[in-house]
Amino acid sequence: MKATRVVQLTALALVAVSGVQVGWWLLDQHAYTVEKVRVARAAYAQQTAAAQALLDSGSSAQQVRELLPGIIVVGGRAALAPELTQALTTEEQRRDNQYAWEGSFFLLALALCVAVITRALRAEARVHEEQDSFLALVSHQFKTPLASLQLSLETLALRTPPPQLARTLIERMLADVARMELMVTQILESARLERGRVDFRAEPLQLSGAVARVLGQLEERARAQGVSIASDIAPELRVMSDPLALDVVVRNVLENALSAVQGSGGGTIALAAQAANGEVELTVRDSGVGFPPGNSARLFEKFTRLHGSSGGYYGTGLGLFIVRRLMQLAHGRVSAHSDGVGRGATLTLAWPLAAQSALAQGPAVAQEPGP
Amino acid sequence: MSVPGRAAAHVLVVEDDPHLAAGVMENLRAEGYQVRAAGDGEQALAWLATNTCALIVLDVMLPGADGLTVCRTLREQGNSTPVLFLTARGDPADRVRGLEAGGDDYLAKPFHLQEFLLRVRAILRRWEWYRSATSATAVLRFGSNEVDFRAFRARAWNGEVQELTEKEAMILKVLAEHAGEIVSREDLLERVWGYDVFPSTRTVDNFILRLRKRFERDPASPRHFLTVWGVGYRFLSEGEP
Repeated sequence: MKATRVVQLTALALVAVSGVQVGWWLLDQHAYTVEKVRVARAAYAQQTAAAQALLDSGSSAQQVRELLPGIIVVGGRAALAPELTQALTTEEQRRDNQYAWEGSFFLLALALCVAVITRALRAEARVHEEQDSFLALVSHQFKTPLASLQLSLETLALRTPPPQLARTLIERMLADVARMELMVTQILESARLERGRVDFRAEPLQLSGAVARVLGQLEERARAQGVSIASDIAPELRVMSDPLALDVVVRNVLENALSAVQGSGGGTIALAAQAANGEVELTVRDSGVGFPPGNSARLFEKFTRLHGSSGGYYGTGLGLFIVRRLMQLAHGRVSAHSDGVGRGATLTLAWPLAAQSALAQGPAVAQEPGP
Repeated sequence: MSVPGRAAAHVLVVEDDPHLAAGVMENLRAEGYQVRAAGDGEQALAWLATNTCALIVLDVMLPGADGLTVCRTLREQGNSTPVLFLTARGDPADRVRGLEAGGDDYLAKPFHLQEFLLRVRAILRRWEWYRSATSATAVLRFGSNEVDFRAFRARAWNGEVQELTEKEAMILKVLAEHAGEIVSREDLLERVWGYDVFPSTRTVDNFILRLRKRFERDPASPRHFLTVWGVGYRFLSEGEP
């Protein structure tokens, strides 16, 4: 890694030096041409002076012209032939022109090289930075549930808690382990998605089925936390997506809504879907903690947790990042809206609508283009 | 295991993770402390505006205003309640940042329960000592200097009013209690910091330099804060003749 960087920086330095050299060469060539023309003019001036001397000493204009072919005699005065003066000027201009074109071509090529190398260096630095901050964030995210787990275990070891408290501690530890497991899963999922190594096979899927499956898994947790979930999705709505991806998206969105509602001490989540403009749009509206309205785009970035203040929010900061990536793969879209902190939030997901006759034709397979 | 010899101390726990907050609070309660929770910095500051407590257990990474900001705000408001930082970042630079913000101690997550409780007890014990020691003699006069331990304020010999940090006041208190005697650097560390918060006794030297600059007419040849080579310091209230 380090050696590549040295090579890149050396190349950059070489190109930069070449640029300076080309610039110097141009100036030098220009000075050389000017000098050459000056010397030529001086030589012609001498010839003219010699011709004048001959004329003055009585030579005929004819003799002078034969001796010095570049000289003309007009009214007893020697002068340089106008075509020669013209030729000198033209030659000077031609050379300067040539240098200007050649020079700018070289400089342009070199500037391009500098730009390409600088870009590569910058991109590499950015990747490094992202990796570093990713590692820092990941390890930081793990420390909190780990600290909680350790605290619970040490509490059990240090004291003899009454059965009720022991029960609470054990449940807390189980939740902490579940939290860490979810984090590992999501980190792996997002790493896979980032590298683009996903086998995404879109096929017509029943949206209500996926939602019902996920709700089945979350039902008990929702009930325990005082969250009521209402779902109104027509069974005939079919979306184009990868079956696994659809489940992950719906699960992450619902987990997120559940945490948001739990953070505000219970409430409601409402799911509704409709087909329009070749899309199936699913809206997930929660009465949870919400977020500042300007922050909706940041919500889908890695490790963004907008749910402020106390509450039961255990997000890893990866859930919605994964959702956005999977929705991109499905050629769908996702957006979030909130009227402000404490005023709930609405997530809108849209997939391409699966044609009603798609089933008759057999599942359509759409392959995501490789990375 | 209750706190010996006094009414239950109030501890404010500022932690946004509900599990961790609950665990910390249960344990503090079991040790006999009165506990109060705040989920973020704003809540903590709002509560502290009208209430007092003996110790604040403060998470560094909080939503909204972070722990360091909260601590700095408190100190600017003249609130000298001791602060024990809890943080997921435990490298030395972060420790120093926490202590510079006015924290008394610093514990990295995940932490050991016993160590946490020990540190809580140590901080409270130091402040208990400081309060009881300063309640008897709240004002110290030496040379033409006058120090008010409870207001953390002093008027120096040149009439300048000086705001003392808690640590400066504590060091001064320890030295004054043993006026005329030699106090070792280790003793000062133990009494004022209690733990391995700072890596070396050099820290004590720096604090003595600061005290000299505040209170000595000529800090280069001190008359009140004398160095005893190889051992520690001796404080003379009358000044060396």
